[in-house]
Amino acid sequence: MEKALSKIVEVTSDPYAYVAGLKDRTQKKIIGCFPMYVPEEIVHAAGLIPVVIWRGNESVTWGHAHVPAYDCGITRSFVDDAVRGKLSFMDGMVFHVRQCLQVGEFPLIMERNVKPAYQKILYLPPIYKGDSIKSFLLGDLESFKGSLEDFTGKKISDDNLKESIEIYNENRSLLERVYEIRREKPEILRAREVMQIVWSSMLMLKEDHNELLRELINGMEKKSVEPKKDRIKVIPVGCLCQTLQFDILDIIEDLGMIIPDDDLYVGSRYFANKVNPNGDPIEALADRYLVKTPLCPTKGVWDIDWGVEVIKQMKENDAKGIISIRVKYCPPHTCYYPDFKSKMVEEGVPEVMIEMEHEIISLEGVKTRLQSFVETIGGV
Amino acid sequence: MGVEYKVNRLRATGNIRPLVDKHWGDLRAAKERGEKVAWASGPSFMFPYSMGMKCHFMAGYASYAGGIGAADELLRLAETTGDLPETCSYHRLHMGLVEAIKKGVPIKEQAILPLPDLLIAGRYCTEQSHYSESFYRRMGLRIAPLELPFVFNKEDRPRIREFVYRQIVENVIPNLEDVCEKPFDYDRLSEILSVLKKTATLRNECWKFLATKPATWTLWDYAVSMAPVIYMMGDPAGIPFYEDLLKELKERHEKGIPALAPEGEKYRIYWDGWIPWAFLGKFMRKFTPHGAVCLCGRYPWEMFPHPELIDPEHPLDTVVDWVYGEETGLACHMAPKGSIEMIGELIEEYSIDGLVMFSSKSCRMWNQSHLDQIDALDKKYGIPGVVIEADMIDPEMVQDSQIDTRLQALFETIDGRRRR
Repeated sequence: MEKALSKIVEVTSDPYAYVAGLKDRTQKKIIGCFPMYVPEEIVHAAGLIPVVIWRGNESVTWGHAHVPAYDCGITRSFVDDAVRGKLSFMDGMVFHVRQCLQVGEFPLIMERNVKPAYQKILYLPPIYKGDSIKSFLLGDLESFKGSLEDFTGKKISDDNLKESIEIYNENRSLLERVYEIRREKPEILRAREVMQIVWSSMLMLKEDHNELLRELINGMEKKSVEPKKDRIKVIPVGCLCQTLQFDILDIIEDLGMIIPDDDLYVGSRYFANKVNPNGDPIEALADRYLVKTPLCPTKGVWDIDWGVEVIKQMKENDAKGIISIRVKYCPPHTCYYPDFKSKMVEEGVPEVMIEMEHEIISLEGVKTRLQSFVETIGGV
Repeated sequence: MGVEYKVNRLRATGNIRPLVDKHWGDLRAAKERGEKVAWASGPSFMFPYSMGMKCHFMAGYASYAGGIGAADELLRLAETTGDLPETCSYHRLHMGLVEAIKKGVPIKEQAILPLPDLLIAGRYCTEQSHYSESFYRRMGLRIAPLELPFVFNKEDRPRIREFVYRQIVENVIPNLEDVCEKPFDYDRLSEILSVLKKTATLRNECWKFLATKPATWTLWDYAVSMAPVIYMMGDPAGIPFYEDLLKELKERHEKGIPALAPEGEKYRIYWDGWIPWAFLGKFMRKFTPHGAVCLCGRYPWEMFPHPELIDPEHPLDTVVDWVYGEETGLACHMAPKGSIEMIGELIEEYSIDGLVMFSSKSCRMWNQSHLDQIDALDKKYGIPGVVIEADMIDPEMVQDSQIDTRLQALFETIDGRRRR
């Protein structure tokens, strides 16, 4: 278990070096997929390596010559990394431009300043009623597949896709198992380690990651931990698109709280819902995208309430409160948040919102808020 | 001693206020008359109009509220109930409005609207859907959603056009038929488009006087005159308004009266992005002393710039082609790459000296890749540009010093290049 964890820490400590090394080792092209909904399986089936684009940990410098300071952390950080040449190992990039307005910044900036050999725009629609939605979505995925075929000069067969779907589904099952064990023994991993486990899945070849997860799960199943009953269970929610600063997770735990489950993108949202391995693979990928939960405010779903869903998750985990992690300048989350908060108040669920910025000047404010929160819900 | 520039105000544009007041007044009283009401975002309001419904238009209402000085109280009201200041100000304004309606909070009377029987949630900007979703959660309002993607690559346009057309037929029209309990009135849509065609044709004649040197009127004059070619679409009152405006512009031109006294402008400026509705006077005062006039921009050129393509015989196709057509397709100009092409055309047509990219801090719809657009356009046309950061209606986001400094820098850059 320790060996697997140490590999995961290595991968996520310097994702730039890891992915560049992966390219050298496999001699395969790397395609950066901007989070959250690019179907990586299609890239994988094309014989390429999909990696989910990440937020770096450096201050934005050159990037501010291209995007305003009031874009969110990952938007600015990604542009900064790209124009500084830090992502030169990426042969291609894929953007879902209907996720939020800020993704629309990328195509022109990349085309002019980075010039990736392959760039694809996806329009994946919101989940509205009507046949036209699925039909357009299928068209989008077929166009994606076609563009990758043109890029590689090789056809992607249904068998290729099914094989990739199987590998990705296995990864989802294994990550689910990690989460199951954490629910049973929340003390087994630090929250930052859990986030690193999911993040490493976004960076590694899925086949390699599956192997690593099997080793990790084996160790986790065997390991016994001393339950700390005084710990207060909380569920972190949000942080769409990006990793949150690990320090925030550490503060949550250091204040006497423990995380048995989460509703984070670099968390349970990433591996939720498997792809149907039978039937037409493109349609199966479309069907996975069209599943409304875990609810995402970028998908235009209004008949399911995010607050209700999270409260359900909280109760299932016997947790006592919710910590919303809202990325500064994330309009989808920001627009939804007042209704989410109202639902928490209506249902009497303790909830606190932490605003996360890319450049953190001080964590003291975050710590104070969390300290008040834990005292409110009866903690240490 | 420098030239003292002064705006020569137009008489005809003063006639617009009663027209827009009447438009919103009619909507406000619609329920009392037993009429059905819709709210719409994105280019979708013409569908409820076709059914005889009174309809709000998200950006139009926000601009009206900004113009009549009601925005600030609605924005602050939204914030007191939990909406966050960094949210799109149009979104926040509507949240404030709904809060005022729900709780009977007194607000400026002209800003009050009746709640709709149907929300046409045109998702042109991805954030436009958030406000309708929130209304559903807060008020249970009925929604007819409509995804309206910007076109990032021209080769994607035909399939996006087909997708949008299908959604209108599958979703928008059946919802309207259900709410109004009658079949969709294609004939009425044709009538609306016939009136629009005449109005927009006259408007285009007026545009020619923005291209004159010196300019005969300004972008700000046109901005306040836009209602007849957008949310007042189909209202015959727009035709005499533009006839009168055209007459005045012709007279001015013949008499050699420029938009800026004494002898016309020193700098001809392209303006990108939203119009700062609540601060028109403020911005005018920032440009005028320098002898600068704003003459054109992508957003104000959205409103049926090619009236010759309006075909009342094919109303649905006309509406869809307005946004997704091969020749006009404004959704192609919304994405940064397509915008460069369109801005380039405007630079040439209106003999532009400099670009001002108005970057709204709370709405990124027009802001995408602004800095790269400036760079690309400077390289191609040799025209400098600056980004100014502010907001359409939220005074908390407008800082004079930042705007003044950047405008000063732009004018100095133009001067520097002229001296070369």
